[in-house]
Amino acid sequence: MTILCRRAVLAAALWCVPVAAQAAETRAKADVNCQALPTRLQYDCTLRLANARTDEPLSGATVRVGADMPSMPMAHNVRPVQATAEPEAGTYRARLTLEMHGDWALRIDVTGPVRDRIVKLMRFEPGRAEPSPRSR
Amino acid sequence: MDDYVVGVLSNIGVLAFLGLSAYLLLLTGEISFGQQAFFAIGAYAAGIATAIWGWPLAAGLLFGAAAGAAAALVVGVPTLRLHGLYFAIATLAFAEMVRLLFELLRYQVMIDGELVGPNGADGFRDIRYVFQNNIEPQQFLLVIYALLVAVLLGFALLERTRLGVSFRMIGVDYVLAQMHGVAVARHKLIAAGLAGALAGLGGGLYAHLTTYVEPRLFDVMLGVHSLAYGLIGGLGTALGPLLGVLIDIGLLESIRAFAGYRMIIFGGLVALLLIVRPRGLLDEILVHRIGGAWRRWWRRRAAKEAA
Repeated sequence: MTILCRRAVLAAALWCVPVAAQAAETRAKADVNCQALPTRLQYDCTLRLANARTDEPLSGATVRVGADMPSMPMAHNVRPVQATAEPEAGTYRARLTLEMHGDWALRIDVTGPVRDRIVKLMRFEPGRAEPSPRSR
Repeated sequence: MDDYVVGVLSNIGVLAFLGLSAYLLLLTGEISFGQQAFFAIGAYAAGIATAIWGWPLAAGLLFGAAAGAAAALVVGVPTLRLHGLYFAIATLAFAEMVRLLFELLRYQVMIDGELVGPNGADGFRDIRYVFQNNIEPQQFLLVIYALLVAVLLGFALLERTRLGVSFRMIGVDYVLAQMHGVAVARHKLIAAGLAGALAGLGGGLYAHLTTYVEPRLFDVMLGVHSLAYGLIGGLGTALGPLLGVLIDIGLLESIRAFAGYRMIIFGGLVALLLIVRPRGLLDEILVHRIGGAWRRWWRRRAAKEAA
């Protein structure tokens, strides 16, 4: 019994020991610019994706953009939309239809050459959208 | 399965932990407006463990749960002798204190040329364990529900133990429970610790699901929702809070016409249910009736087979 206990403690201790740092990996970064459309709560967002290390534009990626309201996490979700690639390298466009004005956390899910999620805090107001004051 | 459906199901699973956390305290008759604080502590602790210290996910989640439990015990010692409104206000004050402390918390470490860690009001980004380890959203969904099923089984077992009965006794009448020899303060402390661990575990899952947390995510709104899930779903069984989350996130989310008005409808639903069914849809009487009907059906079936 004592040996069993010792082994259990040892296993638990090993389980909690920090593992070696993750190998360097490719990460994405995004620059987001949203414009209000004439239809209420609709915004056209242009995303410029780049490799976070090399700054090279990320082309050929599948990009989905969703949004979550930080003031009520998990309750106000916008169904993710697929962004379409623009002729300019690393540039994508997505049209978002929000539930209300206010601060939203845009979730940009990138798959393809890089698998990553980028979160951008934006403030959407009638007629305009800008980075949330907190994210500046 | 559609990514959006996976996302909604993941949210339901994560919120169920928070709902169950509040439910456990409701069983002991206490209304806590502060479970979101332990959810936040779990989220930050688990995020720091995996993103900065490089711990594996399981250890990170355990650490988040342990941090939530430890914080709940620390709060529990001075507050559990309070009752009703006083306890509710104390938990709310603690939760706001924790949220403001996270606004001040700065602990960033350079990893792969980038600063990672909590950065005050800007939040804690790059909790990227799921992406670093190529865990698909469906796989993470399985992790959430495997843990949720384990917790629900734990509740089913708890209801059959002396501890679970004592919790309900205290919830009905703590003075009477004390007269029957139940150590009320000790039992409430155990309930608070377990509730803190559940909220912490949920927070850890949430941080890894979204990859990003910030203090304002954990404001009183989240605490009110966690309470409402138990009150809507019912206090007769641990499935009650899950039903509450399903109604809020599942049903109302699926009816997109409600979109921006969801919170108003949800608030109205809570108010209505508190009037017509004060102990929720799956209250003790209904659960007892369902249990009785099930047992009768089972006996009849066994008798038929024997004949």
